[in-house]
Amino acid sequence: MTLTQKTPAPTQNPNNWLVDVIRKVNKNALDQQVITHSNSSLCVLCKGARFLCGKTRCPIMVKVNTFLKSVPLMETQDIDGMSPPSVFIGRIGYPNVYIGPLVPPVHEDTSIYDLPEQWFGKSMDEIVGFRSLLVRGKHRVNVQKPTGANRILEQTRDLALADNSVDIELNLTKKPRGSIHLDDDVQPFGPSAPIRDLHVGSARYNDKIEKAYYDTDLRATGAVVELYNRGVMVTKIQKAFSVGAFGIEKKRRLVPTRWSITAVDDIISKNLVEKVKTFPEINEYRVYESIYLDNVFEILMIPQQWSYESMEAWYPGTVWNPGGSSVAIYSDWEGNSGRSTYAAIGGCYYSARLAVCELLLKEQRQATAIVLREARPGYIMPIGVWQVRENVRNAMRQKPYMFNSLAESLQFIGGRFEIPMQRWILQSQLLQKALFQRKISDFFAPKPSAQA
Amino acid sequence: MFKLKVSDAKLLRDMATAISILVDEATFKIESDGLKLRAMDPSRVAMIDFEWPKSVFQEYEATEPTKICLNISELLKLLKRAGKDESVELGLDDKTGKLLVTIMGKYARKFTMSMLEPSEEEVPTPKISFNVKAKTTTSGLSQAIEDAQLVSDHVKIEAETDKITLSATGDIMGATITIQKGTDALLDLEVKENAKATFSLSYLSEIIKAAAASSEIATLEFSTDMPVKIDFQQAKEGKLTFFLAPRIETE
Repeated sequence: MTLTQKTPAPTQNPNNWLVDVIRKVNKNALDQQVITHSNSSLCVLCKGARFLCGKTRCPIMVKVNTFLKSVPLMETQDIDGMSPPSVFIGRIGYPNVYIGPLVPPVHEDTSIYDLPEQWFGKSMDEIVGFRSLLVRGKHRVNVQKPTGANRILEQTRDLALADNSVDIELNLTKKPRGSIHLDDDVQPFGPSAPIRDLHVGSARYNDKIEKAYYDTDLRATGAVVELYNRGVMVTKIQKAFSVGAFGIEKKRRLVPTRWSITAVDDIISKNLVEKVKTFPEINEYRVYESIYLDNVFEILMIPQQWSYESMEAWYPGTVWNPGGSSVAIYSDWEGNSGRSTYAAIGGCYYSARLAVCELLLKEQRQATAIVLREARPGYIMPIGVWQVRENVRNAMRQKPYMFNSLAESLQFIGGRFEIPMQRWILQSQLLQKALFQRKISDFFAPKPSAQA
Repeated sequence: MFKLKVSDAKLLRDMATAISILVDEATFKIESDGLKLRAMDPSRVAMIDFEWPKSVFQEYEATEPTKICLNISELLKLLKRAGKDESVELGLDDKTGKLLVTIMGKYARKFTMSMLEPSEEEVPTPKISFNVKAKTTTSGLSQAIEDAQLVSDHVKIEAETDKITLSATGDIMGATITIQKGTDALLDLEVKENAKATFSLSYLSEIIKAAAASSEIATLEFSTDMPVKIDFQQAKEGKLTFFLAPRIETE
């Protein structure tokens, strides 16, 4: 993908985004389906999760799913394979949720299937390909009882804490149904069915995670931060967090995968922000860039105290703006003292904040960071916030473009994006502040007198 | 050595609250004539100018000018423990070099608190000639700011000879708030020259909310595209003044 590539005009065919999906999975299905879309811009905020349109199922997700139905179905009730390891904790019916392992019918090292840290650069096809093999076993439990006499629960937890692929026999009550499960925060996975019986082979715990698991006096946030500082991968911490492996003994509970991903991104990055705020400011304006899966990230760093904004623009034809006729831009931000409410744009806000802080911490500098994301029409389905985390991390690994002024850096970004800079500025609290808000020190007398 | 005693803990608490909205680490000067603080917020958009002369205190002893730097939210935590009619004394713990906070009511409670490295920065006051001076009630001002906050995150304040107009424009809504001279909200208005300037509502509302506890009358001074100075009249002889830099939209 080159930066200068023109995106298709929105008026061409509103169904473009789905046509691609259909082609990938079933070449004959094209003539059989008639598709209609919602025109609501609410979709960008909702991302199939909150049902803001009032419907009980997200019509966009239903349609994407329909076309993915042709992913070969599992023809057996008994799945035998190596789990990456991977588990899923559902959120529907909270606090009584479905938990269980994700198991592919594959007998080899499958660890890559659940390691988003190593996915950057892989195509959408490849990721959806191996993720769709992961069959989800479902077992309903109450989140408040993460321990106790429940063999399936215990085995699911053992699996979540394991360090490498584990042999699993998963017996279901019926053939797994559905095709691929998509979510904006969680990486996709395959069909599911209730568990009849589960046998998890011997799992070796990750030793660092194991230590936190047995420390029943260590608070969950403390455990997360400590594990991160000791080099445990973020997605591994998220997995263990979801099965209630951390925290003061009595307070432990299962956390739906979706929430656990964002909770861990939030806990770690909040901790990093506090460190970053103590470092000197960067000396110049910087722009970092990364493009992956038709998501273009331009990250602007302004030489001033820490504050953060995350903005995303969805082209007509992208997953959360399927029927719109214009680009939808959304943003959320925090000042130097952070925020107390959940960011409306969702989990990606926290994933990007984590990636940005990692760089600032490494450089021992602080800055105001503004993450601008242009989701282009090639981004046809949600594949999880890992994409944002890894895409921004990749940007942070590149050498930044350096500028002496805000105007120059904005001009540069304007040249990289399809969407004019003016549109971004209109929507951005921090860009407006940087451009328009004067400083009180601008009004001090030119030579401050000795008498303050 | 210093010993500062305030007869009513609430006074000190309200003061700390007002300071806490702009700074986390507050460097106070303890001088022979009183307690002073002048500081900018980390983004240097607003500043606070605070002064309590000796007379505000029940007891005031300062053998030599001293600077102390405190984590203001930690101090607030302690002050929140003090009830009505309890007095508070700030002093230096000789043994540890820490701040000693003594709260006295039905019984005496002593807390120690670590002090931070005082800031060496001398903050001057902005040099501005103001064309407008408006005396308002803090509650009236606060209402108007809350109205504007419904629709936008910044507000344009305009002054003409007989009225002040606040206007805000948002994506969906707009608001215009007119306050006539001589009403309960606008007690007095002096206009040398019509003026208008735009300010961040988040700063304005935080400042006013925090100062409202200790003040009923606020005097605003401003000029076109210049900072606004808001002076909150204090019960005793204290001074609590904020400066806020304007927002200037250039295309």
